[in-house]
Amino acid sequence: MFVVLRDLLRYNGEFLAGILMTGVVVAMALLSFVSPYPPLDQFVAPMDVPPSAAHWFGTTSRGQDLFWLLTYSIRNTLAFGLLVAILSRILSLSIGLLAGYRGGWVDRVLMSINDTFIVIPLFPILVLFYFVMRDNMSWVMLAVLTALLGWSYDARLIRSVALSLRHREFTQTAVFSGMRTHEILSREHLPFVLPIVFSTSLNNMNWSIGLEVTLAVLGFTDINRPSVGGMIYWANQHSAVVAGVWWWIAFPVGLVVMLFIGLYLLAISMNEYIDPRSRLERGGGRKE
Amino acid sequence: MSAAMRNPAAKPETADGPVVAVRDLRAWYRLRLFGVDREVKAVDGITFEVRKDEIYGLAGESSSGKSTLVKTIAGAMRPPLEIVGGEIQFSFMDGTMGLNRAPADLVERVRWRHLSYVMQGSMSVLNPVRRIGTSFFDFAFRHMGLDKAGFEAAVVAHLARVNLPASVLKAYPHELSGGMRQRVTIALATICRPQFIIADEPTTALDVVVQKDVLAMFRSIQREMASSVLFVTHDMGVHAHLTDRLGIMYAGRLVEEARTPDVFARPRHPYTRHLIHSLPRIGDDRPRSGLEGTPPSLANPPSGCRFHPRCAFATERCRVEVPPMEQVAPDHRVACFEKDRVEATP
Amino acid sequence: MTGALLELDSVSKTFTRGGLFSRTQVEAVIDVSFRLEAAKPEIFSIIGESGSGKSTLARIILALQTPTRGVARFKGRDLATLRDGADRHAFMAAVQPVFQNPFEAFNPLKRLDRYLYATCQRFAGAKTETAMQEGADKALRQVGLSLAEVKGRYPHELSGGQLQRVAIARALASGPSLLIADEPVSMVDASLRASIVNLFRKLRDELGLSIIYITHDLATAYSISDRIIIMQKGQVVESGDARTILADPKHPYSRTLKESVLEPLAPGERPLFAR
Repeated sequence: MFVVLRDLLRYNGEFLAGILMTGVVVAMALLSFVSPYPPLDQFVAPMDVPPSAAHWFGTTSRGQDLFWLLTYSIRNTLAFGLLVAILSRILSLSIGLLAGYRGGWVDRVLMSINDTFIVIPLFPILVLFYFVMRDNMSWVMLAVLTALLGWSYDARLIRSVALSLRHREFTQTAVFSGMRTHEILSREHLPFVLPIVFSTSLNNMNWSIGLEVTLAVLGFTDINRPSVGGMIYWANQHSAVVAGVWWWIAFPVGLVVMLFIGLYLLAISMNEYIDPRSRLERGGGRKE
Repeated sequence: MSAAMRNPAAKPETADGPVVAVRDLRAWYRLRLFGVDREVKAVDGITFEVRKDEIYGLAGESSSGKSTLVKTIAGAMRPPLEIVGGEIQFSFMDGTMGLNRAPADLVERVRWRHLSYVMQGSMSVLNPVRRIGTSFFDFAFRHMGLDKAGFEAAVVAHLARVNLPASVLKAYPHELSGGMRQRVTIALATICRPQFIIADEPTTALDVVVQKDVLAMFRSIQREMASSVLFVTHDMGVHAHLTDRLGIMYAGRLVEEARTPDVFARPRHPYTRHLIHSLPRIGDDRPRSGLEGTPPSLANPPSGCRFHPRCAFATERCRVEVPPMEQVAPDHRVACFEKDRVEATP
Repeated sequence: MTGALLELDSVSKTFTRGGLFSRTQVEAVIDVSFRLEAAKPEIFSIIGESGSGKSTLARIILALQTPTRGVARFKGRDLATLRDGADRHAFMAAVQPVFQNPFEAFNPLKRLDRYLYATCQRFAGAKTETAMQEGADKALRQVGLSLAEVKGRYPHELSGGQLQRVAIARALASGPSLLIADEPVSMVDASLRASIVNLFRKLRDELGLSIIYITHDLATAYSISDRIIIMQKGQVVESGDARTILADPKHPYSRTLKESVLEPLAPGERPLFAR
């Protein structure tokens, strides 16, 4: 594993850039643990101060230090993305592997459920949930909902791999070695789909974070919990751009864009590891 | 390198000289990625030639390097495979590297016109969503120098040679049986009357009854066009009945080469000998024995003669020195220090 | 006392292809009957080309598919009635497969020994680590290997011949009375084939194992089989003693098949496709 990382870092510019960008974002999130300001305190700093030595990213119209507020926000946003990715991976893996391995009616039932989720318009549904639940809508709840709506594409992908694994002879060997279905899925088939799971979960994080930011900017989430989208929401509420407080918008947007690009670069460079041929082409091209 | 290897003593039978001459070719896989750091010497010092109007058979088992050799000659190398040394010379083009490193437009002109392939999986040549007739047009039209009507007539006439009706031109590949598809690929490979055809396990996927027909057809078309064929298969039965001369590969090297009947009647290399004696025959109840020991690893091949760990005749010398390919009879070369002892043993 | 190990009684299998509107029926196996005696272990070969139905027949014998008509019985038990886990488990302990491609028969990402351990544990009642290792070693010794040679190894580290031996050892570890070998040597190098073929003979003689050898290769079938059936398009065209039939096949298809076999040249023999 270590050598794989070393070689990816050495030969793959996208991977390096992705690591650096994601690294900066993660470091920001970790800084929240040493923040001098509690996240919900307001009017603890002077208002509308442009970026300066005292307040690196400036301050908001609500008297918050933007830098330290952003560390909390990005931490919450990352946690949301991670939770959605983990939950939806569990769903897509178990459903995809089971449907592909068992085939027949199990496959048909699971895939018709899967396809239903694919065609559901998820944004209106999330908004609907917000209006029904209002203040009971915690971020964990939202993450669970998003995960429930976000597993279906990858389940189909995993199923297609499992479908081909089912017909390989080693699956029959496992059956005739007395292994049970869950053992075959978790020990024989899971290792084959892990690389794809890794790459798709990065994309899934991007997708869910994007969704959360959108909802938050529109105010359809818990606006009192700091998040990147929530910061933009408050900035808009205070007409930050009109008032010339551009940093209130610019830094959150910049950071989340950096996270998007970083995760995307990681996902595509993972692909190169999954399909080493493209890697070799690059190496061979250089040698000539 | 010995003089014997540089200069295959066998004189070409025709005045034109060989269609392909391979000299001391070395092609290695060099991997240095994701923690893997190794050199696989899949082709390591091979010298042979394919003469005009002959079917040269190449036999070898897994990890013999025969598929690597084919890729190298066909110019189908992709990294990490690279040519480390040696020459490939075609009679129809200049240069000592064959199609490798040749400019793209030259490769374009030579392929199909002078050199063509028949592969194991016909589906890799035939586009599944194009009719057979379209495939013929794509591959051959610009090489034939005919107008459309003339081209079509030529294709139909050629299909008759491989016993296919003109109606297959309207068919899609999946509508044909495996045997018919393989006939189509052979027709595709031969329509431009190339001097040299590489056939890589072309009948391995076919059933025996169909295989027999396809091989008979292959021979008749080769005879008619007087083309040269490099015929690669692991199936010694096919070699026995089809090829004119036969080279046996083991662990990246050629160990024996002779006229095919001589390989079967008087094998001089211990490996060839064992290979031939282990083949079962209907009506022959003598016990057979499998080869002992493990097949060689090309990443870490044995020193000296690569067969020595599994060889009953091996001496100290075999462990250290690489036996050169030496002429022992007309058209018969063997790479073995103990070849006289091997021949004397019943 | 019936004494039949395996009994196929007019077994047919029809597959339905196509969708709602254009259904076609493919008859893969038509009316096949044969019987293997429990008291007389033998190597029984099913010979046929692709599409002859021989692999479907193998899947029926392994209870992976149920016949459309007719009955397949193992030790008197109708295989179509193997429904629940315990029944199937007992059946799998007694009937084990060996597959065609040894390189595909094991998960390339996993160590080989775990399949042997699992088989010993699930079917041979090995409870402890030591018992599993002993069982695996015993099975491997029956095929001329030992646990020391296989332990901790991955499939790519072994040759095709060795892997096929490990696959056979794994099948033996459950203590079966019938082995179904579907083209077990077609992907193994010719120089190593003879040792696998000899191994089957040894297992029949020493362990009293019955083996169903499924192949398209008449020459190896000749060298190991006691009895054969030759199949064409799902039907048995000829059956009986291996040597008698292969020396002088009566059915036109069997003759064509025999004539199409390309055998190595005997001294002085003329090649079929000489120039």
